[in-house]
Amino acid sequence: MTEPGKVRLSIDGKEIETSAKATVLDAAKQAGIHIPTLCADDQLAPYAGCRLCIVEIEKMRGLPPSCATNVAEGMVVRTNTPELHRVRKMLMEMLLSDHPYDCLACAKNLHCELQKMAEEFGIRERKLRHLTRESVLDESNAFYSRDMTKCVLCAKCVRACKEINGVTAIDLSGRGFNSIVQPFGDGPISESVCESCGECVERCPTAALSIKKQVWPDKEVSTICPYCGTGCGILLGIKDGKIVGVRGDKNNPVSRGQLCVKGRFGAFEFIGHPARLKKPLLKKNGEFVEASWPEALDYMAEKLKPYIGADRFAALSSAKCTNEENYLMQKFARAVMKTNNIDHCARLCHASTVAGLADSFGSGAMTNSIDEFRDAELILVTGSNTTENHPIIGYRIREALRKGAKLIVFDPRETWLANQAWLWCRQKPGTDVAWINGLIRIILKEGLENKKFISERTEGFEDLKKTVDKYTPEYVSKISGVPEEQLFQAARAYATAGKSSILYSMGITQHSHGTDNVQSLANLAMVCGQIGRAATGVNPLRGQNNVQGACDLGALPDVFPGYQKVADEALRKKFEDAWGVPLSSHPGLTIVEMLNAAADGKIKALYIMGENPLLSDPDLHHVEQGLKALDFLVVQDIFLTETAQLADLVLPSACFAEKEGTFTNTERRVQLLNKALDPPGEAKPDWEIICELADRLGYPMSYPDPAEIMEEARKLTPQYHGISHSRLKGGCDLCWPCPNQDHPGARILHQDRFTRGKGKFTAIEHLGPAELPDKQYPFTLITGRILYHFHTGTMTRKSAGLNQIVPGPYAELNPVDAKKMKVKNGDQLRVASRRGEIKVAARVTEVVNIGELFIPFHFYEGAANVLTNPALDPVAKIPEFKVCAVKVEKAAGEK
Amino acid sequence: MNEFPKILSANWGKPNSAGIETYLASGGYEAARKALGMEPAKVSQEVLDAGLRGRGGAGFPAGRKWTFMPKDNRPRYLCVNADEGEPGTFKDRDIMRFDPHMLIEGIIIACWAMQANNSYIYIRGEFEEPAKILEKAIQEANQKGFLGGKIFGKDFNLQVWVHRGAGAYICGEETSLIESLEGKRGNPRIRPPFPPQKGVFDQPTTVNNVETIASVPFIIREGIPAYRKFGTEKSPGTKLFSVSGHINKPGVYELPLGYPLMNFINEVAGGMIAGIKLKAVIPGGSSTPVLRAEECQNVNLDYESLAAAGSMLGSGAVTVIGEGTCMVKLLEILTHFYAHESCGQCTPCREGAPWAAQIAKRIHEGKAELNDIDVLSSLGANMMGRTICPLADAAACPIIDFPKKFREEFEAHIRNKGCPQAKPFPVEFK
Amino acid sequence: MTIEFKESAKKELDRMLSRYPSRQAALLPALFLAQREFGWISDEVISYLSQLMELPKARIYGVATFYTMFNKKPVGKYFIQVCRNIACAMMGGDGLLDYLSQKLGIKEGETTPDNKFTLVKVECLGACGEAPMMQINDQYYGNLTKVKVDQILAGLK
Repeated sequence: MTEPGKVRLSIDGKEIETSAKATVLDAAKQAGIHIPTLCADDQLAPYAGCRLCIVEIEKMRGLPPSCATNVAEGMVVRTNTPELHRVRKMLMEMLLSDHPYDCLACAKNLHCELQKMAEEFGIRERKLRHLTRESVLDESNAFYSRDMTKCVLCAKCVRACKEINGVTAIDLSGRGFNSIVQPFGDGPISESVCESCGECVERCPTAALSIKKQVWPDKEVSTICPYCGTGCGILLGIKDGKIVGVRGDKNNPVSRGQLCVKGRFGAFEFIGHPARLKKPLLKKNGEFVEASWPEALDYMAEKLKPYIGADRFAALSSAKCTNEENYLMQKFARAVMKTNNIDHCARLCHASTVAGLADSFGSGAMTNSIDEFRDAELILVTGSNTTENHPIIGYRIREALRKGAKLIVFDPRETWLANQAWLWCRQKPGTDVAWINGLIRIILKEGLENKKFISERTEGFEDLKKTVDKYTPEYVSKISGVPEEQLFQAARAYATAGKSSILYSMGITQHSHGTDNVQSLANLAMVCGQIGRAATGVNPLRGQNNVQGACDLGALPDVFPGYQKVADEALRKKFEDAWGVPLSSHPGLTIVEMLNAAADGKIKALYIMGENPLLSDPDLHHVEQGLKALDFLVVQDIFLTETAQLADLVLPSACFAEKEGTFTNTERRVQLLNKALDPPGEAKPDWEIICELADRLGYPMSYPDPAEIMEEARKLTPQYHGISHSRLKGGCDLCWPCPNQDHPGARILHQDRFTRGKGKFTAIEHLGPAELPDKQYPFTLITGRILYHFHTGTMTRKSAGLNQIVPGPYAELNPVDAKKMKVKNGDQLRVASRRGEIKVAARVTEVVNIGELFIPFHFYEGAANVLTNPALDPVAKIPEFKVCAVKVEKAAGEK
Repeated sequence: MNEFPKILSANWGKPNSAGIETYLASGGYEAARKALGMEPAKVSQEVLDAGLRGRGGAGFPAGRKWTFMPKDNRPRYLCVNADEGEPGTFKDRDIMRFDPHMLIEGIIIACWAMQANNSYIYIRGEFEEPAKILEKAIQEANQKGFLGGKIFGKDFNLQVWVHRGAGAYICGEETSLIESLEGKRGNPRIRPPFPPQKGVFDQPTTVNNVETIASVPFIIREGIPAYRKFGTEKSPGTKLFSVSGHINKPGVYELPLGYPLMNFINEVAGGMIAGIKLKAVIPGGSSTPVLRAEECQNVNLDYESLAAAGSMLGSGAVTVIGEGTCMVKLLEILTHFYAHESCGQCTPCREGAPWAAQIAKRIHEGKAELNDIDVLSSLGANMMGRTICPLADAAACPIIDFPKKFREEFEAHIRNKGCPQAKPFPVEFK
Repeated sequence: MTIEFKESAKKELDRMLSRYPSRQAALLPALFLAQREFGWISDEVISYLSQLMELPKARIYGVATFYTMFNKKPVGKYFIQVCRNIACAMMGGDGLLDYLSQKLGIKEGETTPDNKFTLVKVECLGACGEAPMMQINDQYYGNLTKVKVDQILAGLK
């Protein structure tokens, strides 16, 4: 019997059982039967254009294309008859007739599908005289070339651009034999809306689209992309001990082979960059001199020894390092240095998520998985420029939109998603609690709430109801600037859709009331019962590749791994027993507090692993003061960052490609890294350095490899109990919580009960940002990231291509303001806040509202964080990166 | 015009034949009123029983096509194919110019039968004048209450729009037409799903030719026997024939199906131009197989007789080719046309048509070898039935047939190192 | 953006948009409108339509270049299109083109220096009964002879 949803068919005499939705081509591939094709692609809709995949099917007329023919029960297919061979050969002769004769000089020589196919059909000469296609050679893109003389018009590129990326930077133009793939109007591709994701280049069977300076690797190693929190799988191509390129890993369950521009083109140049740190550097008389490892570590141990147990030492762990390294770093702080002064950059991005969602739901992470966005009926995106900052998650939203999902965006900026949204509400920066309360009030007034969910699954509803009552549409509209009608539309659509998913990021969290914002979203979801089911929930997108894991593994001042409070005696006892030393019960300092304490002389020694606070933290002048006031600063990094330059000791570490371990992505998925290369020079993996240092401070740490570290960590971390390297190596695809070794992990949280039992409503009043524009500083500054660079630019600014696309700092300025100030695109602006001043180029665009300014913070030479306000959220201690008051003027006489 | 029964062209000679008053005076819109008093399924059945077959070229029974529309709650669409562009064909243009209301009445009936509330007339972009006439006629019909809401007091709404194409022969193919109507490049769609399942705007859609729809009012008004009185058993009714070429009276003629081809040429269409003898006929538009003069002798103009002769009735476009016409040159023109009109999606059509055009040109210019004739035939064979839509089949037809039926002429070009004739055509511009 | 539809054209586009359940369906009407208003489909027109129709520029360009009636370069005041297909060819279509070419002093595909006439040959225009024929702007002219062509050209000021 055939299973339901399956059919049986015969291909070339082989009996095959496959999904009823499969095409004949899928079924053949599954059975290991080769059918030639140039235009079929698993991730794209069938095109049936090349016609090479034709087959013979009994009881069907003609030669149907297998890529566009569905399987059927009892179907009898033949894929390789003399007739098929003859027809395919003729097709190949046609395709070759207009193809240039330059295989030897071609970038794709020996890697060209057309060439391979010609070989397969034994074509040695051309039967048809040469026809030529008009040539348009376009070298304008930073990463790839476009040569239409080599195009076979399979349209994979234009389909990928439309179906995967949703950008449609290119399309077919003209028709018939004269069709070519073009951006528009014969213009160069660099002037189009192309995002350089490379999905087109990846799919091109010939050299019509080819990577510039292509070097073909000898082998490929599958690992995880080092940039955002999406956790895409990449294949690092290696030749002669060097990384020569990156491809998407089709077997990765998150990205399925898709990548963004940073992942595909910007994730490898930095690895082999000459500026990588190769030896420890000791500062002597203000100059760095190279030191040996024993010398460096002995010195460091000696300098740190006096601070053991005194809470005058602090450590910054890293969201760029592995789970295992984060575990060790917090263990080092707690068990060796006897302090809870351990924190990392999650403080700066999602501390309010961790605090807020933990309080509301009992767990501070995405409630649902990335793939579920595709099935949502409504997606409410707020404070996330997803298509730029989490591009592959952006693809999933684009998939949902194509399937007919409604998109609501609340964002002060007109992001790509805002532009595509069913409803875009442009709230004033820092007014999120107001509009969310306003939505809840409308939902309650109209009786659209989920009464059953509220009564059975939650607590504290009455207080919330009382609090939101004053948030009338009129009142909310006045605060937020969102028209009343839009508030009604948003509230009704969100509440009534079968599956509504909330997606947010740092536009919500990086406020002095970030925790309030997060908990307001939690309130909204619970009021409507839009949580605990597939494709619903409250979903914070984490910014760094392993920021989720760094939090999970306890690189936070108030909790041990697994969010177990240091102040809780029973939990502390558990760790004291495991680690064999008494531990401090006082929660430690957060990042900004550490630097304040350093400036005040209360913290004397700071050990920074893989962070660059001198560019990433608010109010950089103050950060610099703090760092300079330290007695001893150690920075362990892959480059001599802005922060490292101030250090007394710099330790060279291995990057993601040079070590083993695990990263946990934003959807709580734990993924294994694979080592592709040895670190340069004497650089070492962070975990090894920490171990050697701990040894010197009288606390031996001895692990043969990261797998062993995880063995220890998982036993102490309830969410990770069932997650081991051996399971991951065995192909298990695990999202925490995973309570035991047989557990499959969990995609959806809070299904039957919230982690904390009942979901907790929090009654919250709108308070507004700490600093608002005034006469002296009339603009609101918003900071953030962009598609082409990452964080402090340490890695992306080593990529020539990314630098070509975005070479330096800029500020987005509304045309109305620009006109008033007589500023043109590219003019230099002087932007100043109460804390400092920077110079950046003007980019005049309607993406930002009048009176608002957006500056990406990637650039040291125009560092946005010189300006930002270190005002902290009282609960999560996250600084208010998203709103501060600035003044802007044209920098006189400069261009 | 001639003495034959007139169903489609009955009003053509009348003053202001395109006006609604003229149409009403001849019993116009009575059929629609009658149809709306019938069960929709009964209307489809009548059209099926009358034996009306698609007049666009494929000849599929019209009533049956309508029954493919699903009976769910989705909005349904009728697209009228007025993208007349097959070389030799110019009949629909005259229906729209001279009696647009007959088409509109047919649309009302067809939409009632399919319970479709929206209809688009997809007219080729170059037909600016017929488009304007249609727009005006639609306006008149709206004013009279034949279109819009509550037609004939029934709870039935119908909107009819004219949608202009913009110069692409392929949009006469029904799925390309649908793509084009959606504002896209006119590439054909892969079937299944077929238009009744997922057509324009993803909704159930039927595409019918202008002449097919215009034939419907007569059938409903006069009944099946009245319609079947004309034509043959298997090809009942009348049909419009557009005749062009070396003929004295080119133009559009309505004839009962089954009329002898030679009588049509020699009598109805006024015979061959003086001094030019018949060489060949393309009987149903440029994508139907060519017949040599001797093959035309006992052929009748209906689906069956032409099929038996190895050709097709097609769109009823009779291209009369006189002696003194170079068939190689003619093939070059036709293949150039198909190469120009190929959308470019399928390899055999995109590459094959320009190839054939190039070879035909080379043969005509005397730059070819004998072997090229075989390459031509094999190209044709590899285009036929190898693509998503029938454009490649249409293109392949002359590529295969011309060298087969006029092999001697092709060989003569090669032997002679060029066209043996001084001029490719017997008629000159004067 | 330096070009913009006049109010009347905007209203016409709105009327077109109301006929279809999808915005893109009005793209061909919008391109026709733009060609009428701006003379030809320049890159600037495509950028403008991209905003107006909420469609990617590449897609609009792809559509505009698929159809032959959208001019991707400027044409003369009188756009003469001569049918080259079989019925016209058999009735002296080549001679018609040569005659026009000679009278206007331009080759096929060219525009007169005064931008008055553009001469092109096109595929079948669906008026084979009037072969040889041509189209000037929106008007068909059939059963052409030298005398007729002279008269027609004389009438075009």
